Amino acid sequence: MSATYALEMESITKVFPGVRALDDVTLRVKPGTVHALMGENGAGKSTLMKCLFGIYKEDGGTIKLNGEVCHFKDSHDALKRGVSMIHQELSNVPERSVAQNLYLGREPLKSFGIIDHKKMNEDTANLLKRLEIDIKPERRIGSLSISMQQTCEIAKAVSYNSKVVVMDEPTSSLTDNEVAHLFKIIRQLCEQNVAIVYISHKMEEIFAIADEVSVMRDGKMIGTYLTEELTNDKLISLMVGRDANLRFPAVSSAIGDVLLKVENLCSPNPRSFQDVSFELRRGEILGIGGLVGAQRTELMEAIFGVRTTSAGKISLKGEEISSMSPRKAIEHGMGMITEDRRGSGIFPLMNISSNTSIASLREYLSKLGLLKHKELKQASVRYNEALRTKTPTMETLIQNLSGGNQQKVIISRWLMTLPDILIMDEPTRGIDVGAKFEIYQIMSQLAQQGKAIIMVSSEMPELIGMSHRVMVLCSGRCTGILDKSECSQENIMRLATKFM
Amino acid sequence: METKKLLSDGKRIASQYTTWVTFVGLLLLLSILTKGNALKWNSIRNLLIAESVRSFAALGVGMIIITKGIDLSIGYVVCLTASVAASFAQNPDYSSAIYAGQSFPLFVPIVAAVAAGGLFGLFNGYLIAYGKLPPFIATLGSMSIAKGLQLIYTKAAVVGSLNQNFKNISQGSVGPVPNLIIYVIIAAFIVWVFLRHTRQGTHFYAIGGNSQAARVSGINVERDLMMVYFYAGLLYGIAGTLLASRLGLANSLTANGMELDAIAAVTVGGVSQSGGVGTVSGMMIGVFTMGLINYGMSFLGVDSYYQQLVKGFIIIVAVYFDMKKYARRN
Repeated sequence: MSATYALEMESITKVFPGVRALDDVTLRVKPGTVHALMGENGAGKSTLMKCLFGIYKEDGGTIKLNGEVCHFKDSHDALKRGVSMIHQELSNVPERSVAQNLYLGREPLKSFGIIDHKKMNEDTANLLKRLEIDIKPERRIGSLSISMQQTCEIAKAVSYNSKVVVMDEPTSSLTDNEVAHLFKIIRQLCEQNVAIVYISHKMEEIFAIADEVSVMRDGKMIGTYLTEELTNDKLISLMVGRDANLRFPAVSSAIGDVLLKVENLCSPNPRSFQDVSFELRRGEILGIGGLVGAQRTELMEAIFGVRTTSAGKISLKGEEISSMSPRKAIEHGMGMITEDRRGSGIFPLMNISSNTSIASLREYLSKLGLLKHKELKQASVRYNEALRTKTPTMETLIQNLSGGNQQKVIISRWLMTLPDILIMDEPTRGIDVGAKFEIYQIMSQLAQQGKAIIMVSSEMPELIGMSHRVMVLCSGRCTGILDKSECSQENIMRLATKFM
Repeated sequence: METKKLLSDGKRIASQYTTWVTFVGLLLLLSILTKGNALKWNSIRNLLIAESVRSFAALGVGMIIITKGIDLSIGYVVCLTASVAASFAQNPDYSSAIYAGQSFPLFVPIVAAVAAGGLFGLFNGYLIAYGKLPPFIATLGSMSIAKGLQLIYTKAAVVGSLNQNFKNISQGSVGPVPNLIIYVIIAAFIVWVFLRHTRQGTHFYAIGGNSQAARVSGINVERDLMMVYFYAGLLYGIAGTLLASRLGLANSLTANGMELDAIAAVTVGGVSQSGGVGTVSGMMIGVFTMGLINYGMSFLGVDSYYQQLVKGFIIIVAVYFDMKKYARRN
């Protein structure tokens, strides 16, 4: 137990045919510290973690746990030996209780193999209490908020007496308050000498929680730094390998006439959005702020016709649209980039070209009603080139691209429909810094071309940096619309928590 | 990243070829085992004829599986449409004919059977697309309904004594080429054009690949889903007509188990159960691969009971590899 490092990955090399995904990468994590692992998507972070958890077999190098060489067969093996991973996506059984989920696969037994529910619930209660998590062990885990479910996963890792906990973007669906709670738990774990490997793209978090930062780029380890030595810009330039002095492009476009008018829009679900009104003008980027659960996505989906509404009006270019549907929305020049890229954005087994053109097929039909494949492909190439989507060929399946490039394909898809209004729900979620900046530039250019953009974002700097105005929702109500001059973190937070 | 792409592209190409490799391999194996006797033109011709009706069912269910659906009602729907077709093609002087004493023009049995198939397709499609029933359950129910209707309609009797004109639809040939083979080629071509070159065909792939994303992209998911079952139903209607014409009769055992044959064939042909993947060429090779296996076993004198066994294993193995290939996505 006296080893200097809880986890050492020495000179790890992983070669896939044609590329060195990991080139002599060394990562050393001290016990009782939070070690941030940073890098753009495709830098090799997840490959490195996959080697740790035995999903990939490294081609060279050694992994040591508390000074002992080890190799895990799979993540379950790792878990048993005190190394656990909290994934970006939840992996629980929603219909079962918190306790049942925590003890899944190792339930305490009475004689004859009967599960000792009492002990299981008591143990869970004790554990949750120790971590200051206020949840009843009997609660059905699916009935908890996403953040609470995530907290349960951390509790699960703790219950295995994990010495090393890897967290992969744990805060991507959490609100600021919930992040604060998560950080509290992380600090508790550190006091118990647990080592945390913290993977995130969010700079603010890294500076708030990490003790050390390791930066990877193109499959190589660039270096490990104490957090105090770093600044925001320094860290970005380490990750992208160039100076990133500007995070947000200038958004200075002439605001024109009203394109979209939403009046008193209500959801049939009383707990969702109610009585929301706003206007969106040509050339404008309207930010939508609010905490998770503020019903921002639901509102956007209703405007685009994915969800139904019970009252209110939606007018596009002065024309009122009754019973909106995605098809009508597209016909009237709207496009929507959804929050859940995998769930409702990409067609994983289709290639880039088809993924780009799928919403515009109507415009590329011959007189016989057959698709003009050649022109479709040319157009797909044109839009993706304009957005600088990085892909080997247009025939590559979209599932093989990084998150940022997938997002560019989806933006291309919508640009190809020649929209006037683009709804972008969390457009930079899970995207690395370099690609983020490119997406910001695209947005700014689109606004300059006279398109109107609605951008839902949970990232304050993005919201403030990109928007002309910010509408804030709280519990489904619009609590205010802030002009650029009034946009500050404090003002947005105040409105976002108005009914809390 | 680069390697992942190469790997997956490589795998994709390899898996595209597996279907062909399996088919050619089986052909070679069979010709070696039988010293070339199994591969005379006559035998091949018989094989093609035997598989032609199944091709229609396979094309139908292939499209359905591309949209991530399934259809268990094929066998009995084809049985019903065959009976409907046969009932309008019986010789008028046949005393046990359903419409004894009446004769119908040749188009009547065809139109009636295709309409019956289409109606069943719409029924399935409506339940699945708008009623949100799982395709498995909806078609399991309609399978029983089709069987019941067939028994009621025919009073469980054989619908025989069909007129020669009707029988010629399937039994005739153009020169050395049997009509059935020509029909299959035409049908496969039409389905290929449809899937590859029309908007709705492309939408089927999108719906099977990610129905949520399809909806957001402005695709009318419900209508398209209903239509895929409708188109499949039309194909089953044609299959029924051709089958009755080829056999010269229809009864309650006609097309028995065709759902298994068709689903097995398209799966072997690379149409993925996870949706959004599949080609017409794959479906057709799948049909003939399965046919070759059946035919080969018969030729080698394998008991037909064992053939059933082998067929079951083949479908399981094919789906096993299919799942391995695509399920890793998550």
